[in-house]
Amino acid sequence: MAKPREDKRKPIPPGGPSLLAAHPPEPAPPPRHVYRWDLDKTYLKTEFDSLKDLLRSALEGAEAKQAVPGASALLRELRATGGTRICFISGSPRQMRRVLTKKLKLDGVEFDEFILKPNLRNMLTGRFRAMREQVGYKLPALLAGRAGLSAETRETCFGDDAEADCFIYSLYADVIAGSVPRPLLEEILYRANVYEDDAQRAVTLADALPAAGAAVDRIFINLDRRSPVARFERYGARVVPVFNYFQAALVLCEDGNLSAPSVVRVALEMVDRFGYSLDALRNSLQDLLRRGRLKRATAVMLGGELTEEGIPQLGSLPGARELLLSFAARVRELGELPAATLPPDGAIDYLAALEADLPRKRR
Amino acid sequence: MSGDGGKSPTVTVAVDAMGGDFGAEEIVRGVAQLSLEAPHIQSLLVGDTRAIQAQLARARHDPERISVHHAEHVVRMDEKPAEALDEKPECSVAVAARLVAEGAADALVSAGNTGASVLACARHWKKIPGVRRAPLAAVYPTEIRRGEKDDPFSLILDVGATLDVSAEDLVSFALMGSAYAARISKNPRPRVALLSNGAEAGKGPPEIVEAHQLLTQSTELNFVGNVEGVDIPRGSADVIVCGGYVGNVVLKMLEGISETVMRLAGYAYKERLVWRLGLMLLSGGIHRLKEITDWEQYGGAPVLGFDHLFIKAHGRSRARAIHNAVKVAAKAQQAGLVREIEVALREFQERRAESPPAQPRA
Repeated sequence: MAKPREDKRKPIPPGGPSLLAAHPPEPAPPPRHVYRWDLDKTYLKTEFDSLKDLLRSALEGAEAKQAVPGASALLRELRATGGTRICFISGSPRQMRRVLTKKLKLDGVEFDEFILKPNLRNMLTGRFRAMREQVGYKLPALLAGRAGLSAETRETCFGDDAEADCFIYSLYADVIAGSVPRPLLEEILYRANVYEDDAQRAVTLADALPAAGAAVDRIFINLDRRSPVARFERYGARVVPVFNYFQAALVLCEDGNLSAPSVVRVALEMVDRFGYSLDALRNSLQDLLRRGRLKRATAVMLGGELTEEGIPQLGSLPGARELLLSFAARVRELGELPAATLPPDGAIDYLAALEADLPRKRR
Repeated sequence: MSGDGGKSPTVTVAVDAMGGDFGAEEIVRGVAQLSLEAPHIQSLLVGDTRAIQAQLARARHDPERISVHHAEHVVRMDEKPAEALDEKPECSVAVAARLVAEGAADALVSAGNTGASVLACARHWKKIPGVRRAPLAAVYPTEIRRGEKDDPFSLILDVGATLDVSAEDLVSFALMGSAYAARISKNPRPRVALLSNGAEAGKGPPEIVEAHQLLTQSTELNFVGNVEGVDIPRGSADVIVCGGYVGNVVLKMLEGISETVMRLAGYAYKERLVWRLGLMLLSGGIHRLKEITDWEQYGGAPVLGFDHLFIKAHGRSRARAIHNAVKVAAKAQQAGLVREIEVALREFQERRAESPPAQPRA
């Protein structure tokens, strides 16, 4: 009887071998940190409050689209830290992929994943509710994105105050942390008026995830509508409502995810490209301090780490020193701040949050 | 987005966040609302940081246009101004006035204790050369409207900052009031009048008679002579000048009449069904009248004569009044009101130096 031949082939890496490569590439190391971004009103300044706005947004080219001040600089700085994965998840239809990816390319933003909503399919199959509904679309997509990641991978999410981003990201964070029991998740999805198959998919994906513990560090909510920050207290201290991306950069710096020069580069882009004033920036810094979202020590550290050499000089723009002196003045003006009370970090009452934040969608 | 997009220069207004009958709540709400609407106005809230932040957290606002300066103490409405300021030099209104003097803000708004607010300004600011007394001005709705914006309010000054006034004080009040009306009501040639007990030039106490002569001879104001009390609500003049004692009595009486009329209407409403029906039929018109004469839309009363502008908002000011008071302060600053008053007073002094002093009539 012939002896079975030994299989000398190398194991196929996940994702299959590249047909073009002479030698199969080494599998990429798992990302250290995943940044998940919503697109409209989070990265892009989009108006969709009226049909006219919707049409204009759908028809305008990449060059006409405007990014939220500081968003592209922040994404570039996050990317530059290495070991990051940048994923966009948007409620825009898939037909807009070309123009949206072109816009990101124009802004110099690299990304790894870009998920868009199958709105044409939803329309053709009569799933009209799904065209506006976000929970049944985004939660399964986020959970699917988490499926291939290691337990050590940390995450930060970016959304806005226009729809249900805070609710969805918080639920996602708690689901992957294993703190939302299956019956509760089913109840939430039912009350959120999610289509049954989407709900089933979300529950199945949640069940399949290994218990990773808390993996989402922060959820930034861009206050496009200038919603009162107190509205987000129910979601705990993990959620940080921000009025601009300079504030997000400051918090990311405090968390150790961004360097001090990166923060200044975000600020300078806001000054250079979007006409931000020094007053606006230092008021933003002071706002974070008042809300207890930034420690005074971080503001001081920021000053200590910055030098003129580390900051690009952009013509007539304020130099780093001027920027810092200005910031320091605003910090001093606050006097000895009493310790700010951060929102409690207890379990989120999602059913109450659903009532408050998604009233139109509840059953 | 922040800033003003380079369209108009930014004005910073310091706001005493703790003064007024409703404390920080209404004041912060007013400033919060303004921050969403006026990209060229930066508000500097002065007061207890924790109290201010608690209100900001609950209001839609743009923090890029708001900063906070902590002040530990507050002067209550019932405190004696000088004693309170001596005991609490770090009270919100004193700190706010000091910040304006230091250049951190351009103008001040307070709804707090009037005496303490004016005194805080006097201690930290300088008077414009030629100003001996800084008058408090008030607005009153009149029958006739004025200016580009059909402003229904006339300006009366002084309404309580001074007790005894000289003829020169009255002339300086006239110059300041005219400049204010020209800038704020967009009324390029406001009609200025002296409040007296008769229209004739020789009527009234000596200072009024002398002021009449000075205004006629040494100024280029649109001086229309003397008016009587009855002319105030008619709107015969756009700026009415008087001493603080008289002005305060007049203002309080006008307020009293207005309140009494409203109360009488209330009695009539309860008295007979026919009257009630009549009032109901008129309710649209009454509501419109109330809107036109609503003092909250004017925001507050300016204190003129200092090298910075102070808008004194009513103690009962709610968010809307504060919002408008800060807007008026910013508008006056942008219009260069203080500079205009300086020029008007200098020109008056120069004319006086050239012409012989006026002889009071017997």
